[in-house]
Amino acid sequence: MAMENLVVTPPPHLKSKEQTALAMRDVLIALAPITIAALVAFTYNALFNIAVCVGSAMFFEWAVRKARKKKVTLSDGSAAVTGLLLALLLPAKIHWLNMIIASFVAVVIVKELMGGLGRNIFNPALFGFVFILIGSGFLASWTGHLGFLPGGFDGVQAATPLAYIKHGLEGPHPSYAALLFANYGGAISEVGCFWILLGGAYLIYRKVINWVIPVSILLTVFILGYIVGSDGLYQILAGGVMLGAFFMATDWVTSPMYRWGQAVFGLIIGICVVLIRVYGAPAGAVAYSILIGNAFVPLLDKVFKPKRFGEVVAA
Amino acid sequence: MAELKTFKGGIHPPYNKELASGKAIKAAPIPSEVVIHLQQHIGAPCEPLVKEGDRVEVGQKIGEAQAFVSAPVHASVSGVVKSITEVPNFTGAKVKSVVITPDASQPEFQKKPGKDLESLTAEEIREIAREAGLVGMGGAAFPTHVKITPPSDKPIDTVIINACECEPFLTCDHRLLLERTDDLIAGARLLKAAVGAGKVIFGVEANKMDAVDALRSRASSYPDVEVEVLEVKYPEGAEKMLIFALTGRKVPPGKLPSEVGCLVQNVGTAVALYEAAAWGKPLYERVVTVTGPGVREPANLLARIGTPIATLLEACGGLVGNPVKLIMGGPMTGWAQPDASAPVVKGTSGVVVLTSDVVDLGEESECVRCGKCVEVCPMFLSPNFIVQSVKRGQWDKAEMWGALDCFECGCCSYECPAYIPHVQYVRKAKAEIAALKKK
Repeated sequence: MAMENLVVTPPPHLKSKEQTALAMRDVLIALAPITIAALVAFTYNALFNIAVCVGSAMFFEWAVRKARKKKVTLSDGSAAVTGLLLALLLPAKIHWLNMIIASFVAVVIVKELMGGLGRNIFNPALFGFVFILIGSGFLASWTGHLGFLPGGFDGVQAATPLAYIKHGLEGPHPSYAALLFANYGGAISEVGCFWILLGGAYLIYRKVINWVIPVSILLTVFILGYIVGSDGLYQILAGGVMLGAFFMATDWVTSPMYRWGQAVFGLIIGICVVLIRVYGAPAGAVAYSILIGNAFVPLLDKVFKPKRFGEVVAA
Repeated sequence: MAELKTFKGGIHPPYNKELASGKAIKAAPIPSEVVIHLQQHIGAPCEPLVKEGDRVEVGQKIGEAQAFVSAPVHASVSGVVKSITEVPNFTGAKVKSVVITPDASQPEFQKKPGKDLESLTAEEIREIAREAGLVGMGGAAFPTHVKITPPSDKPIDTVIINACECEPFLTCDHRLLLERTDDLIAGARLLKAAVGAGKVIFGVEANKMDAVDALRSRASSYPDVEVEVLEVKYPEGAEKMLIFALTGRKVPPGKLPSEVGCLVQNVGTAVALYEAAAWGKPLYERVVTVTGPGVREPANLLARIGTPIATLLEACGGLVGNPVKLIMGGPMTGWAQPDASAPVVKGTSGVVVLTSDVVDLGEESECVRCGKCVEVCPMFLSPNFIVQSVKRGQWDKAEMWGALDCFECGCCSYECPAYIPHVQYVRKAKAEIAALKKK
């Protein structure tokens, strides 16, 4: 009998189809609608940004793994995801050097030097973004972009939708419908959160993420938005909340393991978003909030460790 | 249809039961040599009662231990003791074994004069179980007479017959349910009498409705026997999960089912107890499912204990395709074999051969904290954190995250996108923690 190929490994001997690389591929698929919308709205600017961010993220990962004599793990797709998310967080007009710096910080410092995929505490793309947001003053180009969609919001001269929240501006601020489908000022991903919802639904359907974190964030921002006297619906449709809720806060590595921890994680992020937007500087509010949330993850994992089956809660 | 009873967590692997579920039990050939391990159970090993050159008759006791937690072993064939020597068992551990050369022709088993099963006392039933060498035949092989001697301060009110057979591929219990229904019910009622319980519940997964119908029609005359249908989910047949699904009771960590008034026994064990009590037949053969995409003609074989698995594979027409895993037991918890030499033991439920097209030997990578292991763990443990603690050598933390509560069902590794072999890490943690506690 042909038994020369027998392999002896510990059980189980069956394996589901789950693979880290396949999950990353699902994230890329889920980002396709918003990426296409961004490309339609910002054409070559968006294309250039995405190419620079994805290319540099992959290059840095390759280089740092080589330099540290570790297995190159580009095939797990996480560098590509980091690069694409970073590009989507940035405005269309931004100096390429900023993108390279952000990419370096994200991949080399926040991810690899923390121990590589799985060990980083902070979301790499967000950290890279915040680093240049604070450090390099690219805000100068924040409000302007080349809008190609007819009938859209006048992006070149106008304030971002978030500025309306902050300053209570009157006048032609974008309608809910515009926030859902059309383009307006801000990052290249702020071209209609419908496209992000579409991707988020796909990730939940594919069980890459669960609904707890996004729902917790959106509900908190929505309700707290009204409580502080702002327009809660506008709050969740404008800016980066939707992208953050579905694609950033749900990052496996930097979010809590347990359902209740995830709910509280979303609550923390939602509260921070509203407070920073209303009482602080709106640009980057979601990024700051998620990074703050990331810092709570080890604590949330401790506090919400589930009771073992049959374990009696000590009175 | 109302939602079926079940537990929280678990997985839905491909079951592939259809390969063998329709195959009636048939006798396996007698091999040219049987190897009977003197330890096939949890507990003290037996001392041989025979020596090289002795003649033995089928069913003759050939090994016994004085310890309470042990089970005697019996000759599975009539023949001559060739040697008493150390032979590797299915886990690779060397075990003292009696090697018997069978006679060319084997006698038919002669049933002893029938006893009145209803009049047996609890003590008598325990003695029958012990003398027959009964152990849990689902795989764990814990001596039955010990299990049916519950602590006096923990009354048992419910006997549960584990008829889930939640391991993929395996069908030996399914066949017993169909072909030995009456004997099974009689065996279950003996277990009930042994522990003084009020009722017997059969827990059957919903993928065996023919067995449910058979049980219900035959059990209708017994008011103390219930048949419950359970959701098809792995590991539905794990003791704690099954008790919870059927009774809503939760066995606390580190405790036995008697803590919540339950006794769980496998289908095969109940049938074997019936055979021992009614026929005076010791446990020297059992049904083994030989199946998988790598087996030409899958079958349910009644095999003598000590039959090398090579003999069983030959009886099934040999191997096909490119076999890469030869598993003793089920594919979720069984032991991969380097060759087909290991002999069948009392706890061998199946021999499963998997081919290269269904085996995914992905390389272990870093945990990405996806949380899937936590979601599927039926014990609500955190397999990822156990692994992390083991990697760092933090044994106290491994225990804190639940290493000792893990019963190694393998759901975590099945789901893990990073191909982490959690069970292997857990076993390491258990060994280290036990060693530390001894100090």
